Amino acid sequence: MTGDSSLSHLGPDELDAWLAGIRAPALVRHLDACPSCLELVRAEEALSAQLGALPIHSPGVDFADRVMASVHVPDPFAIRALQAARRRLFASRKSVAIAASVAIVLLGSMMGSVVWTLANRDTLLAAGSWLLGEAGRWAWVGLRGAALNLIEQPWFSGFRSLIDAPGRLALASAAMSLMYVSGIVALRHLLAVPTQRVPHANQ
Amino acid sequence: MPSKAELAARSDQEIVALARAGEESAYRELIRRYERPLFSLLYRMVRDRELAEDLAQETFVKALNAIESYRPEFKFSSWIFKIANNAAIDHLRRRELDTLSLEGSPHAETPEAVEATALQIGDRQESPLDTVEARELGGQIEQAIGQLRPEYRSCILLRHVEGRAYEEIAEILNLPLGTVKTYIHRARNELRQALAHLRQ
Repeated sequence: MTGDSSLSHLGPDELDAWLAGIRAPALVRHLDACPSCLELVRAEEALSAQLGALPIHSPGVDFADRVMASVHVPDPFAIRALQAARRRLFASRKSVAIAASVAIVLLGSMMGSVVWTLANRDTLLAAGSWLLGEAGRWAWVGLRGAALNLIEQPWFSGFRSLIDAPGRLALASAAMSLMYVSGIVALRHLLAVPTQRVPHANQ
Repeated sequence: MPSKAELAARSDQEIVALARAGEESAYRELIRRYERPLFSLLYRMVRDRELAEDLAQETFVKALNAIESYRPEFKFSSWIFKIANNAAIDHLRRRELDTLSLEGSPHAETPEAVEATALQIGDRQESPLDTVEARELGGQIEQAIGQLRPEYRSCILLRHVEGRAYEEIAEILNLPLGTVKTYIHRARNELRQALAHLRQ
């Protein structure tokens, strides 16, 4: 861009500069001499003014409440308790030394355990096999005892006739599956980590 | 707990730190600060009030539930505008896929609906619904903005309505700075042409 109107016209950067209020002398000279660039600048100024005057719209009045209903705010008491514990731990040299000693003892015990395990592999394997064998034997005895006990129950013959028919068996399986799923869902609800309640969350 | 006036005087980074500490009022302050600019941007992007509210809500829920992952060295406004813009662009792309089908939308359930959504490729004319929504938004400039490509629309709205710097727009849209400048220049050219009759 020069002061000569016939050479090069305003580029995007010069237009930006003009719209940002930068009035370079060369730019002013060029606009004085170039009617097409002057028209472009006027149009750009008008467009910027129109865009700048566009209204800002607002969402509905309960927008913030609707957002907060889905936001999980961390429990400030839990965070503060954690921060306080951390502060207490690093409050003095004595507490740091105690924490470090506990960590060293734990680490040392773990390492000692690993070393002993590696050195006494045969003993451990023999003990493991014996334990497995005993556990298997006791499991079998227990299973047999339970089965015998079950067969001797007065309601067993009725139950047997129920599961003999495939339709009734399917129905019973479906009912048991439904009960199992309901139990799992109930358990999940019971075990869910509580979050801080948000006022007006359900409005 | 800080009062509303105290919160209003604090920076975004300070408010975020309070939110991370479990201060509910800090979450509400962030919503108060950004609900109008975000909603305005989304409304002009998708041109449907209800949908814009849904997208704004989705943006806030996503951002506020992930406040721990926000990195304070970046501007909070850039982060939340980026989430909002991605939500709008994703929606517009999905809608484009639906409406540009020659055989009609896969979601159409009646023959009339199939016919109504079976547009010709390249048909960017405004539907009567678009026209009504543009009128609701107010004026020919809104209509002209609605005719821009979504990428140009984001750029021009962030620059001239939100007053964001080119560098911030590049960060929000994840585009090189030169591309942002080109998009804004082209968008202004298109808007100037679309509004030329008003100046005559």
